[in-house]
Amino acid sequence: MFPRPIQESSKSRQLMYKVALPISLVIWLLPMIAIVATAGRSLHDINYGNYWGIPSEWAFLDNFGEVFSSSPILIYLLNSVIITVPSIFGALFLSTLAGAGLALYKFKGRFVIFALFIAGNFVPFQILMIPVRQLTLDLGIYDTYLAVILFQVAFQTGFCTFFMRNFIADLPFELVESARSEGVSEWKILIHVIIPLVRPALAALAVLQFTFIWNDFFWPLILIQSDELRPITLGLTTLKGQYISSFNLLAAGSLIAALPPVMMFFAMQRHFIAGLTLGASKG
Amino acid sequence: MKTIKTLLCATAIAALSTTAFARDLVMNANTSDPAQKEAMENLIADFEAAYPEIDVKFNLYDHEAFKVALRNFLVSDAPDLITWNAGNRMKVFVDLGLFEDVSDVWASENLYEQMPAVVGASSVDGKQYGVPYAYYAWGFYYRKDLFEQAGITETPSTWEEFKEMGAQLNAADITPVTIGTKNLWPTAGWFDFLNLRVNGADFHADLMDGKIKYTDERVKKVFEIWEELVEADFFVENHPAYSFQEALPFMNQGKAAMYLLAPFIVSMFPDDVREQVEWFPFPIIDESVGIYEDAPTDSFHIPVNAKNKDDARLFLKFAAAAENQTKTAGTLDMLPPNINASVKDDRFAQGGFAQLSKADGIMQFYDRDTDPALAKVGMQGFQEFLQHPDRIDDILERIEVERARIYGAL
Repeated sequence: MFPRPIQESSKSRQLMYKVALPISLVIWLLPMIAIVATAGRSLHDINYGNYWGIPSEWAFLDNFGEVFSSSPILIYLLNSVIITVPSIFGALFLSTLAGAGLALYKFKGRFVIFALFIAGNFVPFQILMIPVRQLTLDLGIYDTYLAVILFQVAFQTGFCTFFMRNFIADLPFELVESARSEGVSEWKILIHVIIPLVRPALAALAVLQFTFIWNDFFWPLILIQSDELRPITLGLTTLKGQYISSFNLLAAGSLIAALPPVMMFFAMQRHFIAGLTLGASKG
Repeated sequence: MKTIKTLLCATAIAALSTTAFARDLVMNANTSDPAQKEAMENLIADFEAAYPEIDVKFNLYDHEAFKVALRNFLVSDAPDLITWNAGNRMKVFVDLGLFEDVSDVWASENLYEQMPAVVGASSVDGKQYGVPYAYYAWGFYYRKDLFEQAGITETPSTWEEFKEMGAQLNAADITPVTIGTKNLWPTAGWFDFLNLRVNGADFHADLMDGKIKYTDERVKKVFEIWEELVEADFFVENHPAYSFQEALPFMNQGKAAMYLLAPFIVSMFPDDVREQVEWFPFPIIDESVGIYEDAPTDSFHIPVNAKNKDDARLFLKFAAAAENQTKTAGTLDMLPPNINASVKDDRFAQGGFAQLSKADGIMQFYDRDTDPALAKVGMQGFQEFLQHPDRIDDILERIEVERARIYGAL
């Protein structure tokens, strides 16, 4: 069986494991450590090239205070929420319907439709930049939250449908059949039978989508101009100078921006891991 | 489902409520350095105080994001004003018909006489497409204390003196020059100055316009002179690993003595180091060639698709006025293009100003004077040359291919 519990291996192996693990852990976490350390440094230290040493003064509070006072970061955070939450609901709603349709009904061409959803994931979305911008202009929603929300929903639905279809196909089909023989309408089967069973998948997808959409920089950059509509990813870049960057502020701002996805992950951790493996096992 | 609908409606309404009103003036800018940010915010505040009925909406981008966003918003929902650079960078958008002709502003404010140094850089085919708010000199920022430590008493004004100074610094175990070439553009400052000092401005301008081959003997001559410095260990090691900002600590730590750069660097010296930092212009190489300098110019432009062009023109006039130029350039540590404005009383601004005043001509900067695609290949070549000077023939061959692709065979 793999992986074998470490207790069963030889003494020397155990020792190697105990030495190698902390080392690889530190290497793995180095970027994170660098960000945290930089967020606590003064610009003075950075200009002196003191990136890894002990800071001459701890400047955590100063840096975070400066981020809040020098940029409207609370508004950016709020904008991120306004964009992310409806996008997740939209993508989950559509993909649950599409996934159930593809998994429960044996109609002609369903494989082609499913393949289309998957194929959509392989299109590099950057190539859609100009057509999408033009479309939002024609719809009159350029430079609004709605533009970003619509396109996040559109692009994320493909992956979500793939995920939901596999998850629903994995459920025992007898449940649906017995409900049908009781005369339950298809709509009610979806709401009362399928949805409660796919909850872990929905939770996992919600976490995944939250990080995708929250961290997305590209679509807001293309579709939003006004400062008061910008999400945090776009807002953070204003801390970066044309020539000179205050790396300490940038690091502090990045930590603030990273908190919500991390909290979301911890809140839903259990569902997330269960959901990931469940959805992946059926092709 | 209901919640989704309400959310969508709510966002749609929120979106509608942000649509511009008649006297809104939208400005998108890439001026995200701390000093630049402050200068713009002050200028806008002053403008709003002078014209209380106008509300300026200021959208700030970092430079890289701005480059992507600019190409999108200029052709779609354009702002009323943008910040950009004079010279070829401006010309690219003028040729695409995306920048408004603002010659009327130049005429009504008589800027031709007030901003003589930047007329050329702001013009395409005799028409002006932007109003500069600041320009700046390039030169060597050096540490006086390190020079003294190496026994150097006077800053070099000729090439021989410059090389001699480098040898003295190296003997004292101080790297003469720090440079970070990860961003590529710091190498272009060197190339510009060497070419201007060796071949003069007319040749340089022709090279920038693609009228001269990069494999030309005169271009090779520039690299031969540059190679003297590379061979004499003038530059810090591993410079491609550092961005321009990351190369600065060498100077702050006292390991390197100078940096060929522009005034935006001044704010990055810690206070105790800044006291020691002084400025000298690029030394003369050939006595018979005039003094030509790089002086990149930053300016405001009106997109052709702007909605509120009248108020944008008001802003241009306001920004061009001598007193506002004094203030803006002062905050930026740069120079006001308006000759009636006063230069900040500080040794860097004054030094740069004195040098530009006696210059026989000014250029913008390599990546602002030549085609952007060629500039990229060129600067990659300069970076490689600094690491492997022996490959210069291959490198010039490669740049020449790109030049021929863009400007046609010669």
